[in-house]
Amino acid sequence: MAGKIWAVFHKDLLVEMRTKDSLNIMVFFGVVVLVVFNFALAGARESVRAAVPGVLWVSFAFSGTLGLNRMFASEKENGCLQGLLMLPVDRGVVYLGKMLAASLFMLVTEAVLFVLALVFFNLQVWEEIPYLALVFVVGTLGFSAVGTLLSAVAANTRMREVLLPLILFPVILPILVHAVEATGIILNSGDYAALKLPLSVMGAFTVIFGTLSYLLFDFVLED
Amino acid sequence: MGPNPLTYLFAAYAAIWIILALFLYSIHAREKKLREEIEGLKRALER
Amino acid sequence: MDRKGQQRLDTALWVLLFAGMLLALYMALLGAPREKTMGDVQRIFYFHVPAGIAGLSAFAINFAASLMYLLKKNRRWDHLALAAAETGMVLMAIVLVTGPIWAKYAWLVWWTWSPRLTSSLVLWLLYAAYLLTRNYIADPERKAFASAVFGIVAFVDAPLVWFSIRWWRDLHPSPMLETGGLAPEMRPALWVCIAAYMLLLLFLVRRRYYLECARRDVELLARRVGS
Repeated sequence: MAGKIWAVFHKDLLVEMRTKDSLNIMVFFGVVVLVVFNFALAGARESVRAAVPGVLWVSFAFSGTLGLNRMFASEKENGCLQGLLMLPVDRGVVYLGKMLAASLFMLVTEAVLFVLALVFFNLQVWEEIPYLALVFVVGTLGFSAVGTLLSAVAANTRMREVLLPLILFPVILPILVHAVEATGIILNSGDYAALKLPLSVMGAFTVIFGTLSYLLFDFVLED
Repeated sequence: MGPNPLTYLFAAYAAIWIILALFLYSIHAREKKLREEIEGLKRALER
Repeated sequence: MDRKGQQRLDTALWVLLFAGMLLALYMALLGAPREKTMGDVQRIFYFHVPAGIAGLSAFAINFAASLMYLLKKNRRWDHLALAAAETGMVLMAIVLVTGPIWAKYAWLVWWTWSPRLTSSLVLWLLYAAYLLTRNYIADPERKAFASAVFGIVAFVDAPLVWFSIRWWRDLHPSPMLETGGLAPEMRPALWVCIAAYMLLLLFLVRRRYYLECARRDVELLARRVGS
């Protein structure tokens, strides 16, 4: 089964490497969001560092949504989905492959956006990086766990690009709340013991929705 | 002396009534539309 | 159940609901004792909280119906899920309108980001997302599948949302506290109101369910006549 998951994952990776469309859009949009926030927070110059976790995760969530939108959109356009469904694989496997691909693209985007945020907001981080990486990875996995499923749901509708953010954001609120708090703990308070709770909740979210999406994926794909 | 506190109570109860009334009206309107559609179908079948 | 039986049940339900609501109104305005600090405006509470409980129950009905649809593929479960979702939205709307009215009186602000109010808002948004998903899919079968999946996701998500908001609130407390414990003299009134609202829930979901069944039957009929 791992081989099949790798096959789906690998295919998405190859397609992306050839065009780099998704990554370009995701990074570009994320940068735009960061810049907009600079102006939005102009009145709060002194407390910008406190706002950085929220700014980061909002830009991650928005660019992540863009990436998810494209995930099934191009498949539908090119009729690739039919081909994918004709493979003798369990639909859940398709889900896992796509979810991992989405997570990878998001993580690459997040790395770029994070470095830019360091520059834009004049932050110094060094020892914090491993902890930040952990929070980013778990948060991203949770986001794409449910995002991949809902992207498939939205792909079936007339208004897919508009619908996905509307149905995704309320659902990922737990991830956002805990990720922002965890990032804030790392950047602003350094009390790493306090990370246990948000990380556990984010992990639980990922496992719960990963499993649920794996089971439900069958019902969403077009036949 | 601020606004009469009972104004707030009235506003809350009025809001509940209005929201429920709107929902029930919406159901009623859709039922009416359905009835008209059924009439149209009946006529189409008689032909 | 035959048509006659249905009609008798409908009438009985309607009478019960009417009487129940009247009793609830009495208990809330006259039967319950006057609250010490906030006075009579606190009586909003007797309709605000039961509406929330009924709204949550509607959510649960939607979850069960969505699950049953995916298991049994009988479209009547889909009709029930839709009826529950719309009713839940109406009930949550009541919570979201009466809450701020009370907050304005008690704390002079319209919104407090309190756990209960915020969770109600997110729940309302989840219902709205459910209805939006339905709106933008044309094919009835695909619509039913997609919304059943979303209904299940939303319900599983709800406790996580509640927990996350409460945790966040504990980290960023505000001076405005929601009414915590309830004086024992107030409990009878509250229970009556909860019962009345559960009857309301039953009544509304039934009404909406029958409308949806009829609508779909007519749609199928029209298709047959047209061809």
